[in-house]
Amino acid sequence: MFNVRLTWPVAPLVAAAQFLLVTASARDAEVPDLSGLWGRQSLDWEPPATGPGPVVNTKLRANGMRDSDTRVGDYNNPMLTPFAAAEVKRHGDISLKGETFPNPANQCQPQASPFLLTQLEMELLQQKDEVVLLYMIDHQVRHVRLNQKHPAHVVPSWSGDSVGHYEGDTLVVDTIGVKVGPFSMVDQYGTPYTGALHVVERYRLIDGQSARDAEQRNEKLSGSAMGRFADFENNGKGLQIQFTVEDSGSFKSPWSAVVTYLHGREWLEFICAESPYDYVTGKNPQIPTANKPDF
Amino acid sequence: MHAVLGRSFRGAILGVGLASVLILPALAAQNVNPIPDFSGVWWRNAMDPELPPSGPKPLVNLMRHDNDPHPNGGGDPLPLVGDYNNPNLKPKAAEAVKKAGELSASGRINPDPSNQCAPFSPPYIFTIQLGVQMLQEKDEIVMLYPQDDQVRRVRLNAGHPKKVTPSAMGDSVGHYEGDTLVIDTVGVKLGPVTMVDRYGTPQSEALHLTERYRLIDAADAKEAMERHQRRAGPAGAAPFDPNYGGLQLQYTVEDPNVFTMPWSAQITYRRTMLPWAEQVCAENIVEYWPGMNIGVPKAGKPDF
Repeated sequence: MFNVRLTWPVAPLVAAAQFLLVTASARDAEVPDLSGLWGRQSLDWEPPATGPGPVVNTKLRANGMRDSDTRVGDYNNPMLTPFAAAEVKRHGDISLKGETFPNPANQCQPQASPFLLTQLEMELLQQKDEVVLLYMIDHQVRHVRLNQKHPAHVVPSWSGDSVGHYEGDTLVVDTIGVKVGPFSMVDQYGTPYTGALHVVERYRLIDGQSARDAEQRNEKLSGSAMGRFADFENNGKGLQIQFTVEDSGSFKSPWSAVVTYLHGREWLEFICAESPYDYVTGKNPQIPTANKPDF
Repeated sequence: MHAVLGRSFRGAILGVGLASVLILPALAAQNVNPIPDFSGVWWRNAMDPELPPSGPKPLVNLMRHDNDPHPNGGGDPLPLVGDYNNPNLKPKAAEAVKKAGELSASGRINPDPSNQCAPFSPPYIFTIQLGVQMLQEKDEIVMLYPQDDQVRRVRLNAGHPKKVTPSAMGDSVGHYEGDTLVIDTVGVKLGPVTMVDRYGTPQSEALHLTERYRLIDAADAKEAMERHQRRAGPAGAAPFDPNYGGLQLQYTVEDPNVFTMPWSAQITYRRTMLPWAEQVCAENIVEYWPGMNIGVPKAGKPDF
């Protein structure tokens, strides 16, 4: 057999080869693969492990489940500022009358985080310099610029300015600068936000069983939407988002919530402009009326 | 000396071979199925498709002549009157185009997907969207269009289902042929304002669209864009990145219920240096010029 000594030019060539292989595998290991279609069954969020959680629905069905047909947020939640509590109550009162209050989803308006995190299907696309998030209802799109800072002066926009980076196995997304519009709300209960809104979302994969357990726990508490969006037969990992919301105009302290997805079943084309129906309540919100000529 | 050199030489050969064994498979694995890189935000400063080099053409605006400085879009100072005499139009389609043109020429803004916030089904989407971003994933391509965040999904290396349920964007499947991405679309649902182009040319659910995308060099892209702008008018003045070439789309439309034969058109984009622009249709249904409300909802009778 050859007795080869690793001298020039062998040594550098072998070292180069090893370098290429090592750096390739190191690069692959840096970014967790969070991409794919993700689905869930309930519009409500899960409570955080500790600390203040989101506004929840106080209207319960006879069996103790939250009544997703009648959205009455807990306006007595001590973390709400008086302004926010009044807004939550105002929306809840509309629901208690048997009407559906307008929200971004049923008004075909743009949706921002965290309202977007109520959506039942989401597709996450990881690119080199950005992460693109697509949402089922009304083709909402978010662009998250990676490894960049917010501009010194953020011009408010419907999506806000989102920047992200990876921390080990977690994608962290930071959003500010979300514009306030006529139907702006952070959740399904009409809880308002102001220009001070700041949302931090942390995305990571969790084991499939934990994800299925979280899904089923949430469905037991809050009910399941019509249609199946989460693939319970898929034994792969789930995707969990832990997010924190700060807004000194609406909340006396930051609060957190959790969203767990399973692999999604199939993307559903949902064109808002085709129907103003609120699918959960089945009632028409804000029917246009013409009391006087427009021109 | 000779013996020493011989051993070193043999060692070097073995070393190169060893390194090659290690390096080449890694490189080869990357290059087995090279696909063209269409990443980035592509943009153009004109609406309407470019004319194909030969064969039946898309409709053009009878009210616009070469080098007309009026902008195209953003209020349309010139009425949109499609050439209803285009011999490729079947009689009923020609009638629909003529009627839409007459209404536009009378000062009315016709409802279209863009001003009604309706889905921008293909091929209309190409005629009005100034930009496109392609996200190339392993099994699908997601195409994002800036005006009202329209999204198309293209399943790669898959076939159309035997029975296609019509949908706003249709069913799109794609594959790469060397440096070209080929997309085939069927099953585009008809909505109240679905149209092939900005002139109200109708389409039927038999529409079949084929798109071919490839990268072209910057000089060819610039020339194609300038030629088109001279004919179709300017729509914006976004700066282009001189470090990149162009992306060219050639598409063919077949619809035996509307056209006597398939026709083709072309769209040329270049990479823009501008960030993605948020354009939200729901914020405003007013056609910017001359400031008329389109399709204002009326309640002539109770809904329930």
